[in-house]
Amino acid sequence: MSQRTTVYISIMLVAAILGIMLAVQFRVVNRSPGGISANRAEELLTDLKQINREQENLKKEIADLNYKLNQVNKGKSEAIEALRGELNKVRMSAGLVTVTGPGVEVVLDNPKNETEPGMPPGLFIIRDEDLLKVVNELWGAGAEAISINGQRIIATSEIRLAAPFININTRRVVPPYQVLAVGNPDTLVSSLELPGGLVEYLRSLGIDITVEKHDDLTIPAYAER
Amino acid sequence: MKTKSYYWVMLLVGLVMGIILAVQFRVTRHITQNTPALDRPIALAQQLDKARESRDRLQVRVDELRARLDEAAAGPELARMKEELDRAREKAGMTQVQGPGVEVTLNDSSKVLQPGANPNLYVLHDEDVLRILNELKAAGAQAISINGQRLISTTEVRCIGPTILLNKNQRLSPPFVISAVGHPDTLANSLKMKGGVVDSLQFWGIQVDVKKVDEVTVPAYTGGLVFEYARPEK
Repeated sequence: MSQRTTVYISIMLVAAILGIMLAVQFRVVNRSPGGISANRAEELLTDLKQINREQENLKKEIADLNYKLNQVNKGKSEAIEALRGELNKVRMSAGLVTVTGPGVEVVLDNPKNETEPGMPPGLFIIRDEDLLKVVNELWGAGAEAISINGQRIIATSEIRLAAPFININTRRVVPPYQVLAVGNPDTLVSSLELPGGLVEYLRSLGIDITVEKHDDLTIPAYAER
Repeated sequence: MKTKSYYWVMLLVGLVMGIILAVQFRVTRHITQNTPALDRPIALAQQLDKARESRDRLQVRVDELRARLDEAAAGPELARMKEELDRAREKAGMTQVQGPGVEVTLNDSSKVLQPGANPNLYVLHDEDVLRILNELKAAGAQAISINGQRLISTTEVRCIGPTILLNKNQRLSPPFVISAVGHPDTLANSLKMKGGVVDSLQFWGIQVDVKKVDEVTVPAYTGGLVFEYARPEK
């Protein structure tokens, strides 16, 4: 074997091994996770937490119903008591009972100073949809009862501009709008004041908005028409 | 000389191989250390499916227990209270409602976007759904559901990506069908009013279809009622 052939063979060998290694390396790198998975995990985790919370609630409900069922089977007076308990809870959920509890007070008022030049006037007056969003955000954050200027929000409550006023439960409400919500004060406040969230958006429109925690709020019952 | 150069080549080959092996080893180890991140979404998704299943089971159980409570309370003395309970349940959205009404079908925009246009403007937002629901309520709808999920007082609407979240994590996917029981003409007209909700949604190309129907069924709310913070006033 000449010296040359040996050198050539050695170089070929090195090149071949290098090639294989490179190929393996590429494949391994390709398989490593992309940037999406972190977001996906985050999204799934939020879902999971919420479902777990819901399960907790359902378990409480089952325990409660089981207890009432037991009472009903015990005797007449217990039965009446158990039914009354269930009735009260359903009435509370329907908004037919005045409730008290900790929560937040959100006060919204129209911008006081003149609108900036170049912006159409009247664009920044609080609209029905702003109030709708506030209420929706509060329900989403786990509020248990809400009222606006004394009007309890129930399943069929509308918040609708009937110019120049906003009607809620077909009653006229005027600014400043005082939204009361019973629920976990910290959760309610943090969901409203999320960076880039609703309060920031409304403030950027120039709407005067304050959010305050309270230990004890009273939310009136829905007044039947 | 001959053997010497042969040794040099061998040495070179050995060196290169060694370095490559070392790099390979480090990269592989690095990746195995990070694999949990790769599997996390999958594990979470499986967990989520399981949680959903057990949630649904719990929900069925709640319905059963409510029905049994009603049965057990069938005595004549309890009849009056039972009646009151039924009335309250109706108002709370815990009974199925049937009657004339409308069906509103919603879907994202079918508009072909101009290059550079913001696609976000042409998809359905929570506020769009909120406004339609609000309009229906203002027009006197007695009961409303979206894709079979009953709206109660505490119902929130959240649009996340292409889906809507309702009643604390009930996920709905398009097309969204809103069923409302009420006076069909009043409901339909209030939506289709000039400058109304349907008008403004169609500006963005969002597909809205309002149909009057003689008989629409709005199912009962089936979740739990848990009040952790609110207490009835004494």
